[in-house]
Amino acid sequence: MSNTLGNTDNSMGLAPEGQDAYLRFESVTKTFGAVPVVQEPFSLDIPAGQFVVFLGPSGCGKTTLMRMIGGLDTPSSGRILLQGQPVGGPDIRRGMVFQSYSSFPWLSVRKNVEFGMRFRRDMTKAQKRERAGYFLDLVGLADFANSYPSRISGGMRQRVAIARTLAADPDVLLMDEPFGALDANLREDLQYELRKIQKKSGKTTIFVTHDVEEAVFLADRIIVFGSRPARVMADMDILS
Amino acid sequence: MSSASSSGGLLRFRSAVPRAAVVVAAFLGAATFLGAWWLIVALHVVAPIFLPSPATVARAFWTMCADGVAMPNALISIGRVWSAFLLSVLIAVPLGILMSGYRIIGAFLEPLIDFIRYLPVPALVPLAIIWFGVGEETKIFLLWLGTFFQLVLMVAADMKRVPGEYFETAYTLGAKPHETLGTVALPAMLPQLMDSMRISLGWCWTYVIIAEIVASDSGLGFVIWTRAGS
Repeated sequence: MSNTLGNTDNSMGLAPEGQDAYLRFESVTKTFGAVPVVQEPFSLDIPAGQFVVFLGPSGCGKTTLMRMIGGLDTPSSGRILLQGQPVGGPDIRRGMVFQSYSSFPWLSVRKNVEFGMRFRRDMTKAQKRERAGYFLDLVGLADFANSYPSRISGGMRQRVAIARTLAADPDVLLMDEPFGALDANLREDLQYELRKIQKKSGKTTIFVTHDVEEAVFLADRIIVFGSRPARVMADMDILS
Repeated sequence: MSSASSSGGLLRFRSAVPRAAVVVAAFLGAATFLGAWWLIVALHVVAPIFLPSPATVARAFWTMCADGVAMPNALISIGRVWSAFLLSVLIAVPLGILMSGYRIIGAFLEPLIDFIRYLPVPALVPLAIIWFGVGEETKIFLLWLGTFFQLVLMVAADMKRVPGEYFETAYTLGAKPHETLGTVALPAMLPQLMDSMRISLGWCWTYVIIAEIVASDSGLGFVIWTRAGS
């Protein structure tokens, strides 16, 4: 992707040598009321297409950091840049998949996926339908297109949410423990699929989890957090 | 009656029962009630003047229908109930959603509405008559009064219970906050909303009888009250 930021900023110690910062945290802190969640200024450079896992114990602030990328929380100080532009409120460029309440129970599987394009004015209804069909195929749910989320398994519901977000074609994919509530077998299947899909689409992905195995399996790079307030314990590249 | 399935007896805690058993049990429940009623009268436990037999009641109902008393008055009451109910719903649903969607509107209205909703409707009958006379407006007003202030707070609570993830998902798919009202909030809260409206409709029936007893010359409440003396 474009090199909109030079490597001149010497405060950015975390950028891997010679790679462009597609997504950048610049000395970000976050305090909720009087409670510091991210106290030590957090800086991180993420190159385009990287699969980054935020790994850490529950309540360590990793989710908050990711939510700030999505614009669902705002930094108390510092800023987050996407392609050199500070991120504002949530928009379609940064798609989010949650652990729970991920798919809409009032819509069929197909309509859920089409909802990903619900607010795009540049596509016709037919185009949206076709694109939804493509992503339903991709996550293996074509046979369940007309089912409602209450009639399918938890793993399928997560796949619906992933397909919906992919259909919206965001620049950055944000995933907050999306497989956290699933049993081990299903988790592994979905991790495998997600890895494949991410490689195929080349989308920059931030994935939050507290599961070490999941992190190692999925990530190009793992940021390990200590307990709250969030501190970075390690920044590791994973060779695959 | 269909006997216990392979999964165990019909009395297994929280377990499903066959559809046929549900239907049979429902009819048995109603039959037990009618049987007990009939038995109490047949055994002269209570004097018929206080509790006539089911058959006497059925005959009286038939006579009232034949005389053209029951149905026209029932239709009048139904009309009042539904007018007031729809009026409540039309204002309460959008207002309740706004109160939860925009917390400042909620902060502005909630204490006031919370106070008004505890006012007992019958106590306001004299005031309603002074304001509206004894016409239809009085009844509609009393029914509306008894349901609107309850319903608006229930709608606000229904909206508040919609998981934040649904809205946040929509935002990251490009929705503006106001666009989520129709695409997320309303469909997500619809099951609870239907429940709240159903409860309100029930209250309308309570209040229509009161209103028709006190200030009416038609409707089921009026018929009940005038027949009580005859």
